[in-house]
Amino acid sequence: MVPTDIRRPSAALRDPRWLRWTLLSIALAFVALFLVLPLVAVFGYAFEKGWEVWLASVMDEEARAAIRLTLLVAAIAVPLNTLFGVAAAWLVTRYAFRGKGLLLSLIDLPFAVSPVVAGLVFVLLFGRQGWLGPWLAEHDVKIIFAVPGIVLATTFVTFPFVARELIPLMQAQGADEERAALTLGASGWAMFRRVTLPKIGWGLVYGVILCNARAIGEFGAVSVVSGHIRGLTNTMPLHVEVLYNEYQRTAAFAVASLLALFALFTLVLKQLIGWRVRRAADTETPA
Amino acid sequence: MSIDVTGIHYAYGSAPALRGIDLRVESGELLALLGPSGCGKTTLLRIVAGLEFPDRGRVAFNGRDVTDVGTRERHVGFVFQHYALFNHLSVFENVAFGLRVRRWRLRPRRDEIDRRVRDLLDLVQLGDYAHRFPSQLSGGQRQRVALARALAVEPEILLLDEPFGALDARVRGDLRRWLRGLHDRIHTTSLFVTHDQEEAFELADRIAVMNQGRIEQLADPQTLYTHPASPFVCRFLGEVNELPAALHAHWSGIDDERVTAFVRPHDLEFDDGNDGVRIEGVRDLGANVRVEARHPLLEQPLVALYPRDRYACSGLVVGRSVAIAARRSMLFRGDAPVDAPERAGSALRGLLTRA
Repeated sequence: MVPTDIRRPSAALRDPRWLRWTLLSIALAFVALFLVLPLVAVFGYAFEKGWEVWLASVMDEEARAAIRLTLLVAAIAVPLNTLFGVAAAWLVTRYAFRGKGLLLSLIDLPFAVSPVVAGLVFVLLFGRQGWLGPWLAEHDVKIIFAVPGIVLATTFVTFPFVARELIPLMQAQGADEERAALTLGASGWAMFRRVTLPKIGWGLVYGVILCNARAIGEFGAVSVVSGHIRGLTNTMPLHVEVLYNEYQRTAAFAVASLLALFALFTLVLKQLIGWRVRRAADTETPA
Repeated sequence: MSIDVTGIHYAYGSAPALRGIDLRVESGELLALLGPSGCGKTTLLRIVAGLEFPDRGRVAFNGRDVTDVGTRERHVGFVFQHYALFNHLSVFENVAFGLRVRRWRLRPRRDEIDRRVRDLLDLVQLGDYAHRFPSQLSGGQRQRVALARALAVEPEILLLDEPFGALDARVRGDLRRWLRGLHDRIHTTSLFVTHDQEEAFELADRIAVMNQGRIEQLADPQTLYTHPASPFVCRFLGEVNELPAALHAHWSGIDDERVTAFVRPHDLEFDDGNDGVRIEGVRDLGANVRVEARHPLLEQPLVALYPRDRYACSGLVVGRSVAIAARRSMLFRGDAPVDAPERAGSALRGLLTRA
């Protein structure tokens, strides 16, 4: 351990007082303007006509359908990406192979591509005029403008979260403990369950939480493939948009406030778990 | 159980790490792989463990070919350099791990596991630490947990990768004497990797000195020290003076052949006379006094070690001109040692002679 506390810069690195205060003010102003104010506005508008109207908007039939759909999509996309993320992280950190760099870039692709483009790709693939469209129509499988399309688009967009969280963690931890488990006679599964999973545990939870937050909040890609069928293919973010476009401002903000609440909850959870991950990483390094 | 390694080649990509290794470890032996970092010793150990697979060559245990057998089926105990303990498990559970993951048919009963783990913890003198976690232990204690964990599955072969590398000097000394004692009791065939020649000498029955993917010499410590097979071995086993010398063979008539005499500091003496050598520095090391001198033709200073009382009556002070004498030297012609019979029939015509 380095004895100096890196969070506290030495006197030599300390900026003059006026500069510190200026920077701090600018940062705080930005946070207030772009984060706090909108959040206050969301709750302000949501409750502007009182508690009962908010409750009615949230308990509305279509709103409830949107909430159910959002949860269903997350319940499918998140486990899928968890599985994929663990497998990809394992592959990238435990094996040397040709095209590893390419795979790493591909994992990041959903971050780089605009979600709308991602949505369009699925329309071009599975839509009525798409490559697989005729075949799908023949077999009476509906993907675009239906729940499977929304699941696909969400899965695509939330693809990198778990893998991105695990790869640096597993790289830092190394594989000696897994090797030790193997020399002690553990099977591949026993090694994974008894050694790897506990090691990456909190990092995995962290990645899953981020993945889940994004899955619930995703708008662009889902908007392209959903078709906005009320009560059927509208997720919460889409439902907010529909309500807003119909000048039902209070109802729109009521549903939006639910999303905001969820985001705040995620933030707190993320902070708590991020702290545990860092602590686990600290004790990992041999003294 | 004996280990036979034959014709092992291994490369990381295009960089060869092992270039034709042949080695036999006898049953019950404690053998050290000694060499500088990057010489391939750890790779060789991992190949024996089944953690790496060689590009060419075979590994056999007791004559049974295990080259293609995975780690899990080789039943070797492996102690990692940085312990690789399971940090989320207690000391007890770390040691019990190898027993708990067995197929249920082979798994000992719960009380049997309990008894065996307790016995092992007593063996490594950590009986009171069963419920601690690895992060609450010192380096030496962690290493002993790692050892107990490896021994729990009753391996017939124990492999140790720089087992004391991460410990401070005092703990390292204690632990290696303890390990030697343990080996004398349980006689598990053991192979361990180290870059520290002192450690190899103190622990091992035999030592394989490795360099650039090859075994330079395999011998017991004494032979290694007195009859090094190459200048590399000679240099690696401790500080040594390299002096140009001329060898005069009585029988061949070849006059004054150029050789290099390797002289250990404790075999070198500075006497009255003048060989063009001047004392340049004297440093008191406690038990010994280190005297450095310089000869105009040599790049490196000459180093001699004197026991402190002998130094006291030697009168060697900085600035004095002296002659040199070697009590014992090892001669090399190029990279090949000059063997004993030849040496007996020759006369060493003065050190520092440029033929």
